Amino acid sequence: MTVLFGTLGWRPQSLVPTIRSTENLERVQFYHSDHVKSRDARSKVIEFCRSLGVPASAAEVTDAYDLLQVASQIRGDVRKERAAGAELRFNIAGGTRLMSSAALLVCILEGIPATYVHDETYREIPLPLLRITYGEGLTPRQREVLGFLVKNREKDFTETALARALGVHKATMNHHLRELEEKGAIERREDPNDARRLIVKPAPAMELLVG
Amino acid sequence: MSDRTLIATMGFDERHVLPALRLMPYDRLVVVAGRDTFRSPGFRRLKALEPDLQAVGVKPFDLAASLASIRETIAQASRDGPVRISASGGPKTLTNAAILAAFQEGIEAWYCDPDPVRLPVLRGIRLEEAFSPAERAVADLLRRPVLYDRLVATASARGLARRTAHAAVRSLAAKGLIELVTGQGAVEVQPSSRFPLFRDHLRPAAKKG
Repeated sequence: MTVLFGTLGWRPQSLVPTIRSTENLERVQFYHSDHVKSRDARSKVIEFCRSLGVPASAAEVTDAYDLLQVASQIRGDVRKERAAGAELRFNIAGGTRLMSSAALLVCILEGIPATYVHDETYREIPLPLLRITYGEGLTPRQREVLGFLVKNREKDFTETALARALGVHKATMNHHLRELEEKGAIERREDPNDARRLIVKPAPAMELLVG
Repeated sequence: MSDRTLIATMGFDERHVLPALRLMPYDRLVVVAGRDTFRSPGFRRLKALEPDLQAVGVKPFDLAASLASIRETIAQASRDGPVRISASGGPKTLTNAAILAAFQEGIEAWYCDPDPVRLPVLRGIRLEEAFSPAERAVADLLRRPVLYDRLVATASARGLARRTAHAAVRSLAAKGLIELVTGQGAVEVQPSSRFPLFRDHLRPAAKKG
């Protein structure tokens, strides 16, 4: 069974073609803004789903949030459905730019098949996304190190302290950190209290990758 | 010395581009936008600030075409040095094309609207790296639906171990590029609707030497 996710703007037509074309559709979950026209479109989509006998739920997202916050919210919902064993699809055509881009980000990171619907023809167009999680671009050990740093973002770790905390040799940790730095996943900063020490921090937004 | 290139998407309002210019040091600015943008007052104001900017015209409402143009722009700029992308301007199809291109090409990407947000792109990790040589070899043989056994036999005849060919077919299926359809006792391998979107990325790697 498939759960269809979508972003909705003012036009139900941006989401409806995907509702029609999804096989074994179990449920529709979509995001829309707090604009009155968007709420109107929400009612129409829910009415359309009701006529098909498909449960639908909508979540309101305001532009007051930032891209990463919206992406985190969507990713949380997506992971919940995936954990429940559902096949996922995403239509990113509607909604504000921020909402649509946040949805795209989640699809890239989580490897979810995504489509958009052409503004004029309402034709569904698949996006070139693979069904693999983007974090697989890191080795399991690199993911472990980055995951630890993300979980402990507030704390300051030197390379040595990090090696100790994760129970690996200092030279091995140095290797992992160099690779992570090359990929832009971590940053090394001078400790403001001791210029001889370098503090290792995860790059911004890495929560979305390994969180 | 290498040139740092900043590629910025733009609509009619240059104010979506200016935060990126302030935040990211660059030697060369490339503005990617629809042709109407280049006639707009916003673009003229930007051009007055940055007379040497390079303008790349795209179809901003066609995500696939914009993606191809941005990837090409990245490839050209990468020859001269590091490239960053700011995906904050223009319609959402253009923004999304820029985000996709950044992830596919492994270049640093920012979304500055209004606050700067760096996207979690892994630098240097290109989409091509998601495919093993065996997957590329199998994909190269797939033009139309073909029986599973025949595909594996053909791949073996071209030098892949049978076990490697089996694994490559399964892996391509897991990635959503092919579908395995069982009918009349035989399994058929069919390219999925996404398969053509990855033709460029699936080309067999050039042999060394």
